Amino acid sequence: MTVTEAPNVSSAIETSDKVASHLHPTPSYDLADHPVPTGREEIWRFTPLKRLGGILEGEASDARLTWKTELPEGVTLREISAEEARGLGEMKPADRPSALAVANAGGAMLLDVPAELELAEPIVVTLHGSTPEDLVWGHLVVRVGNHAKAAVVLEHTGAARYAATTSFLIGDGAQVTAVTIQDWDDDAVHLGRDAIRVGRDASVRHSAISFGGLVRLNTEVVYDGPGGEAELLGLYFADAGQHLEHRLFVDHNAPKTRSNVDYKGALQGQGAHAVWIGDVLIRKAAEGIETYESNRNLVLTDGCRADSVPNLEIETGEIEGAGHASTTGRFDDQQLFYLQSRGIAEDEARRLVVHGFFADIIRKIGVPALEERLLATVEAELEKNVGANPSSVVTA
Amino acid sequence: MTTIDQRNPELEGIGRYEFGWADADTAGATAKRGLSEDVVRDISSRKDEPQWMLDLRMKGLKLFGRKPMPTWGAELGGIDFDNIKYFVRSTEKQATSWEDLPEDIKNTYDRLGIPEAEKQRLVAGVAAQYESEVVYHKIREDLEEQGVLFLDTDTALKEHPEIFQEYFGTVIPVGDNKFAALNTAVWSGGSFIYVPKGVHVDIPLQAYFRINTENMGQFERTLIIVDEDAYVHYVEGCTAPIYSSDSLHSAVVEIIVKKGGRCRYTTIQNWSNNVYNLVTKRATCEAGATMEWVDGNIGSKVTMKYPAVYLMGEHAKGETLSIAFAGEGQHQDAGAKMVHAAPNTSSSIISKSVARGGGRTSYRGLIQVNEGAEHSQSIVKCDALLVDQISRSDTYPYVDVREDDVSMAHEATVSKVSDDQLFYLMSRGMEEDEAMAMIVRGFVEPIAKELPMEYALELNRLIELQMEGAVG
Repeated sequence: MTVTEAPNVSSAIETSDKVASHLHPTPSYDLADHPVPTGREEIWRFTPLKRLGGILEGEASDARLTWKTELPEGVTLREISAEEARGLGEMKPADRPSALAVANAGGAMLLDVPAELELAEPIVVTLHGSTPEDLVWGHLVVRVGNHAKAAVVLEHTGAARYAATTSFLIGDGAQVTAVTIQDWDDDAVHLGRDAIRVGRDASVRHSAISFGGLVRLNTEVVYDGPGGEAELLGLYFADAGQHLEHRLFVDHNAPKTRSNVDYKGALQGQGAHAVWIGDVLIRKAAEGIETYESNRNLVLTDGCRADSVPNLEIETGEIEGAGHASTTGRFDDQQLFYLQSRGIAEDEARRLVVHGFFADIIRKIGVPALEERLLATVEAELEKNVGANPSSVVTA
Repeated sequence: MTTIDQRNPELEGIGRYEFGWADADTAGATAKRGLSEDVVRDISSRKDEPQWMLDLRMKGLKLFGRKPMPTWGAELGGIDFDNIKYFVRSTEKQATSWEDLPEDIKNTYDRLGIPEAEKQRLVAGVAAQYESEVVYHKIREDLEEQGVLFLDTDTALKEHPEIFQEYFGTVIPVGDNKFAALNTAVWSGGSFIYVPKGVHVDIPLQAYFRINTENMGQFERTLIIVDEDAYVHYVEGCTAPIYSSDSLHSAVVEIIVKKGGRCRYTTIQNWSNNVYNLVTKRATCEAGATMEWVDGNIGSKVTMKYPAVYLMGEHAKGETLSIAFAGEGQHQDAGAKMVHAAPNTSSSIISKSVARGGGRTSYRGLIQVNEGAEHSQSIVKCDALLVDQISRSDTYPYVDVREDDVSMAHEATVSKVSDDQLFYLMSRGMEEDEAMAMIVRGFVEPIAKELPMEYALELNRLIELQMEGAVG
């Protein structure tokens, strides 16, 4: 008896870079490879295309965000050409907004942390948009040299129609904390992509924090060698009518690499929509890796929608472990009951529960200066709904 | 590092599939290939169907042509719709005793052990479908007296047109997906079950599907109606011979469970490795009703099957237990879908899969909680076991929650057979493949124990066959 030949499976166990999967478009600088989406594509089907303010049409524009930063000694920020950015080894664009951003930005900003420099304080860059009329293309490269140690915070405020690609090139053995905060006005649109290249034995902790605006953020991770570690954290708070979409793609392309994804979000108000897509691919070469993904959504009111898709594609059995978890639900009534039984009023108890839900992510971000502020922002968001008195802010 | 299979090439193909024989095939040899309006008209007129059914078939054909092939799942490029035989009549009339069947068909079922099971009263009714039509049908007399209907779908259309027209196509509309449209156009055979109010069918009803002709397309259509507070357990099994070119099995199963009713549907799909198995299965549950899918996918080249439960009434409950094995050349793309459309509904999905020898298993599922379905609960657990380094396992769990007062949890793990476990068992004197099979059996045990006894035994045996040659 023979077993029939099977082209479908032989193609699935190939060893080349390409993996049979409907989840990942082939990265390319060529705009022709990233046609205008119809909304039926796997990577676009959760996004409200009509509300993107025409960004995807790709008009040229000279508008810029206002940059503000204080650079520590040794760190430089300068403009380079798009070709130079390519030469540094940035990852190719994986979707239309990032391809457009590279094509239209007319060069990139390079934030350069030289090798072996250890920074005590975070580099905080604020990017401010003045009006949603402005169409802004952004192309950034953050390079951290071998064995350096740095924290970079990109904070987005104001309003704009902003499409940007940011590459984080992490040298061997470097330790990097990267934070991107989207605290836009309600009428802003932000289509972002953070592409992270993790050097051999390097570790990176990336946090995406989204409160305001329409946000669609792709975070991608690849490894330049064995032993790299990536921790991807996220925190989002979607209000009425707001769309917050976080997409992750961790490509375990090297052995003994690790990734850990932990995203938490809350939703409140009619039409609040949170989307979380967590793709993890474990290639055949990636033996001995470990990965875990978690997404937790707290739905605070009626009329919200939370989509949560932790996709896992595994091509080798020689791994330490792989798993994911996703939960969506309301308050834990038991926690609420416990607090109330201790004499805490219901409103206050609810706020405490939400506070506790976010506090552990906020503490993990690794930039102490941000902690307090983020907790206060969460409180402010909560008051819009739960409406307890602001004087009883809980301290961490 | 060499893989286990590479080290032991002689183990390849040993005792892998034992239902692979083929009977002489006179009916199939003369059957027409390809799909056209004439083929559809011909099927309908041979069955002497009412006009509304022909119209529906035509609509299905049109929608089939219009809908694109799904690209998000398994590789389906190997299906040649023009080469498939859409209707093969193997015998002129349905038999009422096994002896009346043509010799070779009877032998086939003897070898599969079906008449034996019936004799021993392990089942309450049997339907055997060979090619496009049901060739044997029997139900226990006492059930018949209580008004239980267990017929093949073609006969049901003739004898009970009123019930039929009321429910047919209501759970899965003609244009639901490309393959449901194809099934609507060319359906033939399948089971029709009606369980009246309050009747408990305590022993399973069983159907057995066999494809014999090469390049055959089997398109059975099953419709099950469980009336208020009634219960039925339906079991189906599937096999086919091994040919070098592919066959297609594309069934549609519609189930309606009324208030307080309960239906359990067990499938052990063991098609040969040249069958594309693309099946649409869906149930609707009224208030307090329960639907349970027990879905075993062991055979076939490609399976795409996501049994669904639409929880339409309060306190309705849906459950899916899914188990998949993918060996060399196989892709099992299975999963489940639960739609919570009413308050206080609950669902659970438990999926276990094992991939070996370069096979690929995918779990693909959707949990949707609609607005208004408050206090709904859902839990999804997927575990995958990879036995070697060349196999692949994917998990694509979609969750869409539109209501605040719900609890939804999803968890997945993927693991390899741990060296510790193997070492322990071998230190107790077990051979490696024996130890491996035991670990795999332990892994699927929570699902195996939900199967009827003889199927659980069958499953265990299949695991052993699958695992044979997996280790050296």
